[in-house]
Amino acid sequence: MGMTLALSRLCRSYGQFDFGPVDLTVDDEVLAVLGPSGSGKTTLLSLIAGITTPDSGSIRLDGRELAGVPLEDRRVGMVFQEGALFPHMTARENIEYAATASDRVDGLATLLELDGLLDRTPPTLSGGERQRVALARTLATDPDVLLLDEPLSSLDAPIRKRLRDELHSLFESLEIPVLYVTHDQRTATALGDRIAIVRDGGLEQVGAPSTVLTRPTSRFVARFTGTENLFDATVTNRTPDGATIQFGDVQLRTTASDVAPSAVTACIHPSRVDVEAPRVTDGDRTANTVSGTVTRWLNEGSEYRVTIELADGSLALTANVRPPTFERLGLENGSDVRVLIPEASIHLIPDAERGSRTH
Amino acid sequence: MATRSDSNRTETVTFGFDWVSVALVLGGVLLLYYVVPMVSLFLSVPAGDILARMSNPTVVDSATTSLLSASISTVVATLFGLPLAYWLARTDGPVTKAVLAAVVLPLVLPPTVGGIVLLTVFGPGSPLGDAAIAAGFPLTRSLAGVVLAQIFVASPFVVVTAKAAFESVDQTLEYASRSLGKSRLTTARRVTLPLAGPGILAGVTLAFARAIGEFGATMMLAYYPRTMPVQIWVAFIELGLDNAYPVAILLVLIAAAALLILNTVASNPWE
Repeated sequence: MGMTLALSRLCRSYGQFDFGPVDLTVDDEVLAVLGPSGSGKTTLLSLIAGITTPDSGSIRLDGRELAGVPLEDRRVGMVFQEGALFPHMTARENIEYAATASDRVDGLATLLELDGLLDRTPPTLSGGERQRVALARTLATDPDVLLLDEPLSSLDAPIRKRLRDELHSLFESLEIPVLYVTHDQRTATALGDRIAIVRDGGLEQVGAPSTVLTRPTSRFVARFTGTENLFDATVTNRTPDGATIQFGDVQLRTTASDVAPSAVTACIHPSRVDVEAPRVTDGDRTANTVSGTVTRWLNEGSEYRVTIELADGSLALTANVRPPTFERLGLENGSDVRVLIPEASIHLIPDAERGSRTH
Repeated sequence: MATRSDSNRTETVTFGFDWVSVALVLGGVLLLYYVVPMVSLFLSVPAGDILARMSNPTVVDSATTSLLSASISTVVATLFGLPLAYWLARTDGPVTKAVLAAVVLPLVLPPTVGGIVLLTVFGPGSPLGDAAIAAGFPLTRSLAGVVLAQIFVASPFVVVTAKAAFESVDQTLEYASRSLGKSRLTTARRVTLPLAGPGILAGVTLAFARAIGEFGATMMLAYYPRTMPVQIWVAFIELGLDNAYPVAILLVLIAAAALLILNTVASNPWE
């Protein structure tokens, strides 16, 4: 197929809220659109779908201008938040209503495991079933672009996880641009080939999940993607392969060297540090070593979130610790530990925005 | 604290008992006021007598005129009213409010005043009225006049009730339908109208009931051909109350049928 969706200088204003200008290109890939509620995620989809008309800018699908084209002529499929199934039709009738060819219904029903549900009406379906019918209905139109507006947000965690896994392979097989709106970082990283972070009606950062997670370009992105450890730091020494930074009386080496100003925010993701016993010397010898004291911990199931007060007591660092490590070290409040921070785990954000645009 | 709430409860119970009784009596009296006259009407004339008088040509003529005119008015009101109702349901702002006020105006206007207003446009002496008379299709003292009067007073019921019915249809469903490649017309026909159907039917039923009972504006615009309400008036004035009963009973039966429709296939807007 090879469809490309290109948005350029797309703007829409609603009294208090200004969306855009947004520039964005989406190829045959899944773009997870991640942002807090009210940031403009749904507006972005509405503009592409044609539910909302832009004040200015263009929406091109393989070179064809969509702005101004009625939504029924866009060939843009949209899966709405609660499914938006027609309540007076059965699941089968919903899909048949949309189907470009009647033989598509059974294939889609098999693909999305709807076989036992086809003769039921939307009110008798569970949230997950409704979403699957809604997806089948949209796919039945054979769209050139697929938009999904938080389709999993209303589902229970186990179903959400299962559907997420199924959707990933389904989206890959479609070979069309897929925009998947969510406010859940885990869904975004699991489903997205790339992630777009939306904030205040604009795109804050677009990139591969690993890049957005480990190399956020702003404190907002860092916080929103789960990097809680943000320190106001100063670059004290710079070498071709890295830099030395200081915050409080902590000095750390980092491989990050691409930041010009000396005032920076040091970002350290909680899952990218190791916690060890105070006097043991094994582990990564090139890593920065800081000693501290456990002040709080929380069992989050697959890992422990441990808050460690660093040496002089003025700084606190959060570390995700795997249960075996947590149990081996016998951690509890007051335990003295050594925190290993690999040089590559420290990401620097130039601090033009320190203090400003705090969210 | 506990003592205070206890004493409060006692007071509530004492006063509550009295007020509940008063409320029951007030409501009960009003209910009787509705039901007793209806029963009384049916007891006023022997059943056989009513049937005999109903075959009277004047009664049959007025019933024919009423049913025919009310049917035409209802169809026209629905045809013209649904698009306006949909627009009112899907827009919001000062213009919408003003338009809605204009729609509701005939509902609050005394029907005779409505008749006068219509006469200034359609009556003899008005350009439109004279042109229609010249064309051999007079808009007063004709079935057309009856229909015009009925549409004026009855069509707001279609618009207002259908507006509420359209509002109950989530607009997301219409967007969903169109995003599936269906035109506005297909969307209206297969999604919006079926979902708003019971509410629209309620509006149509109310409009028909109002049209068939229309008296004030009809008197002003078209005394002839006589509709049932006009026939009741004429029979009462010329021949006495007894002679007005048969048509009145017919109208009560039609009203009952309308209620039946409202409470079964249609969605009763007042429930």
